[in-house]
Amino acid sequence: MGHTVLVCDDAIFMRTMISDILAQAGFEVVGEAETGRQAVEKYRQLKPDLVTMDIVMPDMGGIEAVREICRTDPDAKVLMCSAMGQQALVVEAIQAGAKDFVVKPFQPSRVLEAVQRVLG
Amino acid sequence: MDLSRYANLFLAESREHLQTCNRLLLELERSPHGTEPVVGIFRAMHTLKGMAATMGYAKLTELAHRTENLLVLLRERVAGAEADMIDLLFQAVDALEQSIDEAVAGHDETLDFTALLAKLDEAAKQAQSRTGEMRAVRSARQTTDVAAIPSATGRLVRVAIRPDAVMRGGRAAIALKRVEALGHVSGVRPAAAAFEGQDFDGRFSFRLHTDVTDPVIEAAIRGAGDVESVSIGEAPVPAPLEDQTTVGGARHIRVDLKRLDSLMNHMGELVVAKGRLAEVVAMAPTPDLEAVSARINRLVTEMQTEVIGSRLTPVWQVFDRYPRLVRDLARQLGKRVDLLIEGGDIELDRAILDEIGDPLLHLLRNAVDHGIESPADRRRAGKPEMGRIVIAAARDRSGVAIRVTDDGRGIDRKKIAERAVKEGIMESVNEELTDDVLLRVIGRPGFSTAAKVTDVSGRGVGIDVVLTRVRALGGAASIESEVGHGTSITLRLPVTLAVLRVLLTRVGQERYAVPLAHVAETVEFDPQKTTSLGGKEALVLRNRVIPATRLRDLLQVDSGTASARPPAIILESGDRQSALVVDALLGQQEIVVEPFEAPRGMLPLFSGATILGDGGPALILDAAALL
Repeated sequence: MGHTVLVCDDAIFMRTMISDILAQAGFEVVGEAETGRQAVEKYRQLKPDLVTMDIVMPDMGGIEAVREICRTDPDAKVLMCSAMGQQALVVEAIQAGAKDFVVKPFQPSRVLEAVQRVLG
Repeated sequence: MDLSRYANLFLAESREHLQTCNRLLLELERSPHGTEPVVGIFRAMHTLKGMAATMGYAKLTELAHRTENLLVLLRERVAGAEADMIDLLFQAVDALEQSIDEAVAGHDETLDFTALLAKLDEAAKQAQSRTGEMRAVRSARQTTDVAAIPSATGRLVRVAIRPDAVMRGGRAAIALKRVEALGHVSGVRPAAAAFEGQDFDGRFSFRLHTDVTDPVIEAAIRGAGDVESVSIGEAPVPAPLEDQTTVGGARHIRVDLKRLDSLMNHMGELVVAKGRLAEVVAMAPTPDLEAVSARINRLVTEMQTEVIGSRLTPVWQVFDRYPRLVRDLARQLGKRVDLLIEGGDIELDRAILDEIGDPLLHLLRNAVDHGIESPADRRRAGKPEMGRIVIAAARDRSGVAIRVTDDGRGIDRKKIAERAVKEGIMESVNEELTDDVLLRVIGRPGFSTAAKVTDVSGRGVGIDVVLTRVRALGGAASIESEVGHGTSITLRLPVTLAVLRVLLTRVGQERYAVPLAHVAETVEFDPQKTTSLGGKEALVLRNRVIPATRLRDLLQVDSGTASARPPAIILESGDRQSALVVDALLGQQEIVVEPFEAPRGMLPLFSGATILGDGGPALILDAAALL
């Protein structure tokens, strides 16, 4: 309980929804990022237990951000948020160091399952 | 989950993204070859799709998804977006804009995009057939990479992801990643690249070399989620057939361009060393030395030809993309243009070809935009409605000439003359405006007279950019234009960049190199045969008056003394000539051009520098600047 989370997505809509799902499950959303670059910066500052990462974002996409985060912290726990039809990108993200993924549209139960797997 | 509280957020943000799409589509329409607008539109559309899916708006999601498919193809394509494709994207954005309120009001299911979806699919199909070839190349490359994985020993592990799982490939990738943490993984079948495909069925196998027990392995794999079964054993793997791409015959191999560059640089040094050797031998000749030197000379020359030859690329490799671009541009401007390519087999050094692609595109754009008239205007002028642009490459002395000719309206010399007088290039509008002066005027940075008169699309001219690039390559440009009949611009380029043939001269204590490509002849500068041209010294040569420049004065050299009848080099570019007076001529030489950054405040006379065979430096004069 009380795991800290950094939510990264360029849409406020998605950030709000993910934050709500996680907050209701007892997580503490400690930060949000709108771009990949912000995600990398905030990860450094906040050292959250979990990161949710959108794949397509302006100014450094999610995959590059994962790569960058895992380069400095190989144990970083990043959960990719993808849309249908992005399998190739998801595979790439996992190879870059992401630990799991969820596919939009989000079902809260699926999101939480994935989070549990990531946090082990 | 109650989604209604997200509705307003969804509406506001969707509108913003659709607005972005509209703005970027306009940008794309203006420059159909830009990739940035496409990437931006894709991103906005993708975000919209994710939001709509999350809100449960199936119809909106579907429309956004199919639009996105088309954008992906557009992003991967070499050529630009066609006008009708941009139209279609506009329609999709409009439809989304009109429908988001409906969807939020709870009427998503009643939305009907059938006709639009069909059009999007059709356009995607067409675009796909054009990109198919590129993809084939890409996937072939992946196949070879994977085939390189050696088979190894270890436990054979077979995994099946649940068939109903979303993105089975993603799950497989996680499973693989997790076992990689346990030991050494090899012999992955199908190759990991297959995980990225939509048709991956979720079954894969690999060999794992590790000390941990089977239950640990199984637990790690199941931790990836959506795993149906895991079997760990020693059963032999049926080796799947691997796609193998074999290159027909063994006549070609691929070589990294960097290696060729490096080879070329060494070659250049070798050529210089060869020249130095000949000089040294000449100082103390013996029959043996002379024989060896002559042999080395011949071998190096042959090698040089081969090395340069290995870098030569036929111009069609760059020209091939032009017909499509010209067609698209003409279509956008409501013109009819036929582009003809001549001399596509003429070869140039890859480095030069890469540099010249954009300037040529610039010239073609100008020809379509400013040169070729509208079909109606052409009809009135008694010309065929279909305009014609020819891009032709041909050998020219030791280099290559590329000429872009259009049969359009030509350049209005009166307007240019007015501008030339304003800029102080000409004294009066009544003077004859030669082709040379014409090029100088339209080649000025920021030149825009013609743009104001004829510009339809709001694109700047930028001839100055073309001229700068060509000069940087050691080439020259010339123009011919006749009102009503069209314009022709010729770029003269060296075949290769690395080795330059120069005439070596001396002024004071320093040596200067003049590229031979610009040297017409050398004469004696006889003060008795000089006259004055616009208050400046000029040389009379075979009844022609040629403006003269004394390099000694230009460079403010005062060491040593100039002879009474010094040599003069007649420089030539197009129909322009100029005499350059130096202290002495030292002979012809091949030199290697070194990158050169002129110090601040230096006269813009030099295009580069070189180290000569004896180790001393020489500056390379920019002949075009002296003309």
